[in-house]
Amino acid sequence: MTLHEFSAELYGTAISRSIRDLTWVIPTTQSIHIVSIAVVVGAALVSDLRLAGVLATDETPQTVVRRYLPWLWTALAVLVATGTIMTVGEPNRVLTNAVFWTKMGLVLFAFVLTLLFRLPILRADFRLEHARIRALVKPMAWASLLVWIAVIFCGRLIAYAI
Amino acid sequence: MTWADLLQKIYDSPVGTAVRESGTLFPWIESLHVLMITTVVGTIAIVDLRLIGYGAHRRSARQLTADLLPFTWVAFALAVVTGVLLFASNAVNYWANGPFRFKLIALALAGLNMAVFHLTTERKIVEWEDALPPPPAARIAGATSLGLWILMVFLGRWIGFTISS
Repeated sequence: MTLHEFSAELYGTAISRSIRDLTWVIPTTQSIHIVSIAVVVGAALVSDLRLAGVLATDETPQTVVRRYLPWLWTALAVLVATGTIMTVGEPNRVLTNAVFWTKMGLVLFAFVLTLLFRLPILRADFRLEHARIRALVKPMAWASLLVWIAVIFCGRLIAYAI
Repeated sequence: MTWADLLQKIYDSPVGTAVRESGTLFPWIESLHVLMITTVVGTIAIVDLRLIGYGAHRRSARQLTADLLPFTWVAFALAVVTGVLLFASNAVNYWANGPFRFKLIALALAGLNMAVFHLTTERKIVEWEDALPPPPAARIAGATSLGLWILMVFLGRWIGFTISS
């Protein structure tokens, strides 16, 4: 089965039709999606700017990362849930859309980057000055921010690439 | 010149026309607008939650505000600039759009809330900056701000669904 065929089948299901028929569902889901993006931006901005040495340098990296990482994970969970609702409701809009798949790739990349570079920081014995990865921490923090920005651009541009 | 004439002039202006007729300008300006709004809401949420009583990455509300508000302001300025450009491309129809008008009202109320907070409770922030929970006036200001900004996100999205081309 091709992506096109799967998308068409999904479009015809009862749940897909229900999401489309209740006209408030998609705009509401999108709005919750955007609020969650704002949470990611806030959490990622403060964490990445701390790691880049730009913000709140009088607080330890652990303090900052520990505070915002839970918010990041929760927001990502909400983003996946709302994204799934939108995909099930309008599969034709995203499943055959190159911009959508680019966004998914970037999200995965940002997710892996966050796992690799944030979780070690949370260990009690972590010291930024002694970390083997310390040379990479700053560039990876900036890279992380750039990837999230690219994700947001892709998100809006999906609508224009249908 | 009537208000309707002015809106038409904005619509017909070189800037409005360029944004409207270019296949790429509107989507990119709109995407930047969304990025800026999510940055405003994301940073303001941290400050507002602290004002409500949820701890951030530092205890002091004053220092937290100093950390974050510069980013909020820069993002807000760019949100306004991109918003004006988007508005120009379809001035007449945006002005006639209900969610758009409500969004402007919400924006004005958020500004008013912030101004009142700044001129009153925030004046004495040194007295309560480390207090958890903060004084009631601060909690109300934070909750009002957060509520209005989340409302603006919903209204903004609703514009897209109800605007006439």
